[in-house]
Amino acid sequence: MLTRHFPLVIVLVIVALALLLPWLMPWTYDQIDWDAVRAPAFSGSHIFGTDEIGRDRLARLAAGTRITLMVAIAAALVSLIVGIAWGATAGWVGGRVDEVMMRIVDGLYALPFMFIVILLMVVFGRSILLVFVGIGLVEWLTMARVVRGQVMALKQRPFILAAEAAGTPPITILWKHILPNIAGVALAYLMLTVPQVVMVESFLSFLGLGVQEPLTSLGILVKEGADDMDMTPLGLLLPGAVLVVLLVCLTVEGERLRDRFS
Amino acid sequence: MSLYEIRDLAVDIAGNRLVDKVSLAVDAGQCTAIIGASGSGKSLTCLTPFGLTPGVASGLIRLDGIDLASADVGQLSDARRKLAGFVFQQPLTALTPHLTVGAQLQEATMQAGSARPTRAELVRQLERVGLSRPDERLDQFPHRLSGGERQRVMIAAAIAHGPRLLIADEPTSALDASLRAEIMTLLDQLRAEQGLAMLLVSHDLASVEGHADQLVVMDKGRVVESGPAADIIANPAEEYTRRLIAATPRLDEPAPELSQPGDILLGTRDVAVEFQRPGWRRGRISAVVDASITVRQGESLALVGGSGSGKSTLGRAIAGIGPVTQGKILWQASALPQRRNRTLEMRRSIQPVFQDPVASLDPQWTVIDIVTEPLRNLRPDLDRAECNDSARQALSDVDLPEEFLTRMPASLSGGQAQRVAIARAMIASPQLLVLDEATSALDPLVGAEILALLARLQRENGLSLLFITHDIAAARRLCHRIAVMDDGCIVETGDIQAVIDHPRHPATQRLVAAS
Amino acid sequence: MFGLITRRLLTAIPTLLVIILASFFLMRLAPGGPFDGERPLDPATQAALQQAYGLDRPLWDQAWLYVSRLVQGDFGPSLVYRDFTVSELIAQGLPISLMLGGLAIVMALAIGVTAGLFAAVRAGKAADKVIMMLATVATALPTFVTGPALALLFGLWLGLLPVSGTGDGVAWLIMPVVALALPVSGAIAKLTRAGLASVLKQDHIRTARARGLSETKILFKHGLRPALVPVASYLGPAAAGLLTGAVVVETVFGLPGLGRYFVQGALNRDYPLVLGVVTLYAALIILFNLFADLIYGWLDPRMREG
Repeated sequence: MLTRHFPLVIVLVIVALALLLPWLMPWTYDQIDWDAVRAPAFSGSHIFGTDEIGRDRLARLAAGTRITLMVAIAAALVSLIVGIAWGATAGWVGGRVDEVMMRIVDGLYALPFMFIVILLMVVFGRSILLVFVGIGLVEWLTMARVVRGQVMALKQRPFILAAEAAGTPPITILWKHILPNIAGVALAYLMLTVPQVVMVESFLSFLGLGVQEPLTSLGILVKEGADDMDMTPLGLLLPGAVLVVLLVCLTVEGERLRDRFS
Repeated sequence: MSLYEIRDLAVDIAGNRLVDKVSLAVDAGQCTAIIGASGSGKSLTCLTPFGLTPGVASGLIRLDGIDLASADVGQLSDARRKLAGFVFQQPLTALTPHLTVGAQLQEATMQAGSARPTRAELVRQLERVGLSRPDERLDQFPHRLSGGERQRVMIAAAIAHGPRLLIADEPTSALDASLRAEIMTLLDQLRAEQGLAMLLVSHDLASVEGHADQLVVMDKGRVVESGPAADIIANPAEEYTRRLIAATPRLDEPAPELSQPGDILLGTRDVAVEFQRPGWRRGRISAVVDASITVRQGESLALVGGSGSGKSTLGRAIAGIGPVTQGKILWQASALPQRRNRTLEMRRSIQPVFQDPVASLDPQWTVIDIVTEPLRNLRPDLDRAECNDSARQALSDVDLPEEFLTRMPASLSGGQAQRVAIARAMIASPQLLVLDEATSALDPLVGAEILALLARLQRENGLSLLFITHDIAAARRLCHRIAVMDDGCIVETGDIQAVIDHPRHPATQRLVAAS
Repeated sequence: MFGLITRRLLTAIPTLLVIILASFFLMRLAPGGPFDGERPLDPATQAALQQAYGLDRPLWDQAWLYVSRLVQGDFGPSLVYRDFTVSELIAQGLPISLMLGGLAIVMALAIGVTAGLFAAVRAGKAADKVIMMLATVATALPTFVTGPALALLFGLWLGLLPVSGTGDGVAWLIMPVVALALPVSGAIAKLTRAGLASVLKQDHIRTARARGLSETKILFKHGLRPALVPVASYLGPAAAGLLTGAVVVETVFGLPGLGRYFVQGALNRDYPLVLGVVTLYAALIILFNLFADLIYGWLDPRMREG
């Protein structure tokens, strides 16, 4: 377990730290230590030092990671629900309905989606709720395609026909035969959606269009670090490293899961 | 000395010995056939010596005086390039999709070092394998050709460089029954013309009979019996060969004893099934046109036809799991409504069994849940304990021990899975089973067992069977009457023996000739 | 083939129109506009400004006006960069963005396909595992992290490459293009590797091997084209990804490309600018998807009938 799922272990450690550190640390993420502006690493109670206005880097890192992961999980769940509902309906009903529903997905795929999300942010203001609704609504497309393909394939399988002959009502067939058989693949794609969302959220926040101050996220921290990198590279390298490690580990585990189920 | 000779061949993959002590020989102009069930090592035996499997071959392998067992990779590929030609099972996938027929044929012609062939030469090669409009075909991509046409291209490419040995690995198994005879005849003819030695591999004894000079019967990686084909078939020395021959349905075997049918149970009156064309194109595709059949109590009706003839679609319409566009399905003279409008009682009366036994069972369910599924819906009056008792009984009826109730489908063999599927169909005491190619995906021995099981169930329960198949000989073991379908229409019906003796419609004649 | 192109082009026009109109109305729905500054303007000035920019007309009129001008290549005036029309800003920014994106996709294809091919040939060996691990890491490298990190390393610490702005020669292009291309090349390497792994198991490869062809010939003549089908279908999303990535790269490296105008426009509610850029992006992506379809048809003739 420990060696086979090393990436998963790293993700769990990062999550645990992001959740626990704020309880254990003397500093909060928005608290300013007037005596230690731009403190270097390992000075006093600031393990990674403080930023240009004296906020503890580690506390900010933990808070940013927490927000990023929260947005990611919420948005991935939105994509899971919308994707399964859309894909399963299209695949199950089939025919023209499927044709129309999948054309819509194709059309949306072809859109410059990040720009539409940005447009939404601009129009409806920059709220964290909108960030994850917006992202979730983008990321469901792949899930819908995958689920639809699975349902289409399952529908042709004789055991579904046998269930129909056995008098099993359609809704029960959907619940007891179809959904359990697509659960594995859906889980794998859910896992792959999380790093996607992390990427999108950080991107938006980096541009100043995502999570807003005083809240912070990995994207904001990278942006702050990049602006200040000629003074203290740590500000860029710390959140950048956490972000990349998270993305790599989540992708590796997600792909492993996907390969197992397909 | 034989052109191609193998003595004491062993094949290992990742340390497992999958083929052992196999010896065979092929002479120029002769055909040696290897017969065996899936997993018997027959394909490994013929492909591994040429380096076409991940296995490692050892023993004595000699082709035209060259020792292949000690050959390095370069010499092996030299032997393939110059001396051997190969035809594989899947004509759909065995040709490169992005190269035209002409490009692939040209590559094959030049493989032994010949000069670039002219277009006329390529056309001649396609003519030789009996492909119509050869000039046009040269510029087509493989996906535009039908399965039979592609197999002809495969054969043309396999002999284009003038090999001495032709290896054909299940060359007709993926083709429609009526095409199989044509392809086999073509191979015979080319063998005679070119003096080719041919090594043929098949799971189906009937398909090589009359084509093979020598026969090698394999089981579990070893040779069971080998010798002249006619001798073995007439006088098998080994128990396994005897069982295999007995399991292979033949048209000239003695007629089975069948019970006397009763009153008419099911009838269809001018049933038609149409499907919407896929996508946005207008129009509909007719899968079944005005089909009328009857099945009596205790009677088995064979519904026979090639792929795409509409036989499965009609079967599904009768079983209430497929649409009906027009016409009536009558059950004891009262009309059966479509699909979900049928009452529980009606649904109980007709149950289907499908071709692919593994795909017929939900991989996430245990056998007991699978078998009791019809009871839970169709017999709401039964409680859980009664359902479980019925499941035990149903399993024992299909000769499976009770321990199978807790198994998962993935742990079952093909034959066991098909027995579970039959138990599920039988548990609600139906009067008619719709068997859609129920034995076609199984190995011959297992298929024969399932046929025998169905015959027993029919006898004991006075069951009626609708036996959908492409195989007339198999149908003859079980059925009283036959209905032949072609292109969506019922083209011929009657007593099965009478139809086999005097087939009137060309489609029937093709099917009988192919058996 | 020709029919497919015409059909795609014909569906592209309504798609584009829908995107334009949807974005247009969305922008107009937004509360507040570009003239809502810190200090409210007096009503007279406000009205004058509104009229000057056509903001006082009915919405449908504005939409119609916008689209009909668009057809003539007139994207309207920029509300924030008051001395420029949107068309001028686009004319200035587009070449830079296209150059960045074009170079990045060429580089990603070259690196990705080569690496994937190499890994597939060495399947299961150490080289395969190392390449695939690097590809996974590369895929997970967001441009907004690699961009600043590259600038820090090669610009500030090593002093090898310029950190900001365009300059003479091509040195200024190196870091932005690398930052853009890295994740895409990782994804292409993975797709190529997976595609080849599945194609090399197929029957037609065994047929080719049975002909005694050399492994190289089998790989390049019979294996590579079908193996690249997943890569071709990834090109559309990749192009969209590169355009979004370009937004970051242009911001990070201070390049006056389209992306920077887009972000500035979005932050300042410069409707015509944002609309113009979105329209252009949509058109580019649709065009690129068409291009990907053509490649698709070349790779696999079965797709030509679509």
